[in-house]
Amino acid sequence: MSESAQFVNSEQRFRSLFENNLDFILFQDRNGVILDVNEPFLQLWNCSKADVLGRGISDFLPPELIPVFREKLIQAFQGTRVQFNVAVQFRGAEPRVLNISKVPLRVDGSVRGVHMVARDITDLTASHQMIEQQAKTLNTIFESITDALFLVDRDWCLTFVNREVERLLQIDRQQVLGKNLWTLFPDEVGGEFYHQYHHALAMGQAVHFEAYYASLQLWLEVKAFPSEEGLSVYFSDVTLRHEAQASQEKLAQDLHRQNQDLQQFTYIVSHNLRGPLANAMGLSQLLTAPDPDQATLLSHLQTSLVQLDVVLQDMNTILTVRDKQDVADVPAPTRLADVLNLVLQEMNEPLQQAGGQIIRDFPEDLHTHGNRAYIYSIFLNLLSNSIRYRSQQRALVVTITGSPHPEGGAQLTFADNGSGFDQEKAGADVFKLYKRFHTSPSGRGMGLYLVKAHVESMGGTIAVESRVEVGTQFFLFLP
Amino acid sequence: MHTVLIDDDYISIFLTTRILQRENFTDTITSFQLPQEAIHYLQDAMPDQVPDVIFLDLNMPIMSGWDFLDTLKPLEAQLAGRCSIYILTSSVAPSDKLKAEEYSLVASVINKPLDGPKLQAIRTQVLENRS
Repeated sequence: MSESAQFVNSEQRFRSLFENNLDFILFQDRNGVILDVNEPFLQLWNCSKADVLGRGISDFLPPELIPVFREKLIQAFQGTRVQFNVAVQFRGAEPRVLNISKVPLRVDGSVRGVHMVARDITDLTASHQMIEQQAKTLNTIFESITDALFLVDRDWCLTFVNREVERLLQIDRQQVLGKNLWTLFPDEVGGEFYHQYHHALAMGQAVHFEAYYASLQLWLEVKAFPSEEGLSVYFSDVTLRHEAQASQEKLAQDLHRQNQDLQQFTYIVSHNLRGPLANAMGLSQLLTAPDPDQATLLSHLQTSLVQLDVVLQDMNTILTVRDKQDVADVPAPTRLADVLNLVLQEMNEPLQQAGGQIIRDFPEDLHTHGNRAYIYSIFLNLLSNSIRYRSQQRALVVTITGSPHPEGGAQLTFADNGSGFDQEKAGADVFKLYKRFHTSPSGRGMGLYLVKAHVESMGGTIAVESRVEVGTQFFLFLP
Repeated sequence: MHTVLIDDDYISIFLTTRILQRENFTDTITSFQLPQEAIHYLQDAMPDQVPDVIFLDLNMPIMSGWDFLDTLKPLEAQLAGRCSIYILTSSVAPSDKLKAEEYSLVASVINKPLDGPKLQAIRTQVLENRS
């Protein structure tokens, strides 16, 4: 009794499941004859159970689908569960997409029939297609925009890379997708890109910046937008624009320098060239009348003419240096110790006479890529200045220290304990032509001008610090 | 007549001195190659023994002619009418002439070298200024 009740119970449960299922369900024998069918199926065809039972499934199918259903039925009777999708056009209805399952019913090891379950997946299929279409459209847009675009998730793994990224960064998307951005670009960790992207993601703020990608020598303009998923990064190559800007700036600088040179040239003509000339004119005027001291007049006249010649030669030297300034040759490395030795040899006698002492403190292999003749001239001029303007109060000591510059080249300090000059008064004139800061012994105001011109023509820099009766220090950087 | 020369160039001092002597421009000449020393000299000479004429060079190291004039500013009122300053320069730059107009003590800018006719004009001007 209880077994029977359980059976009925189970039978009822099955029936309820069968009848009330939203899917179309029917039960077939080996020949495709319908043995049972549920309510939704009858509703679809608008017929009664009596009309259906005992008939073949083929009677309800469009002719072109009959072979497929037959084949699948045979497979199911071989004991495998089969599943397939078909597009069906029933008479007078919209085309539908059905997902068909054929499940074999085994009794005592052999297949007695097959349950066929048909699920209407028309809407689902349409949605899938729409999503696929949208993804494709998006992909096409991402690929066709001229900006490079990549997406990373919140763990910095690349989820999308467009063709422009592959081209600009010379990478293959198959190699990089799914990989961590910072593993792929380890040199950028801690750099500008790194900080900007982290900022964008951490603060939820879009960032817009330009930065230099050193590995490929590219200037990139970057916009990065944070989202729930991670970061979308758009960038483009602005190297050409940067180069144009740089060359424009250089042009402006050159122009400014030439303008200054011209002003200085006017100054030279006004004072240094016309000074001795005016003297010569005055002296020769005096010589037209008898003078008791004619010999002195003649001697001064001669001196004035020599001075005139010196100024003209100076100008020649300056113009030569200035002309060579733009010659961008890259000379072989020059060992500073070698050049300094030559200069010390040359200056040995005046140095001895002055009772001077040189203290050198730099590595023997310290070198630069500057022009050797210029480096010689720089050392020579600085050393002769130190000797010429040494203090009368104490013995001259010149200390030359140097070390490699972190970014290549050398940094040098050239310091003396000489008479120094009033830096506040000298101001910007220190390195100017024919500007002098000592009355005696007299110099021409040419040395430091040449030193600066030489340093700058090599792409270096020079600065000075001086205190009266303490000494003068020159700080040089030579590339 | 007492005249002071300020010029760092010894040949220029020699030349100007010789022309002043030839033209009988002045009774006494005092010359300085350092403007700082000339300043001290003037301070000591105040107010009665200031020179009638100063010839001042512009382009000098450490203290230029302009620096000299700036240092003299506090004495301007006391010097006015007693002392005429002539800038004697090799410069032919118009900017120097313009700048000189800012200094009331500067009577005129003369281009080197000094000669007879220039001195004659200066003598006339100095005498007018004094009377």
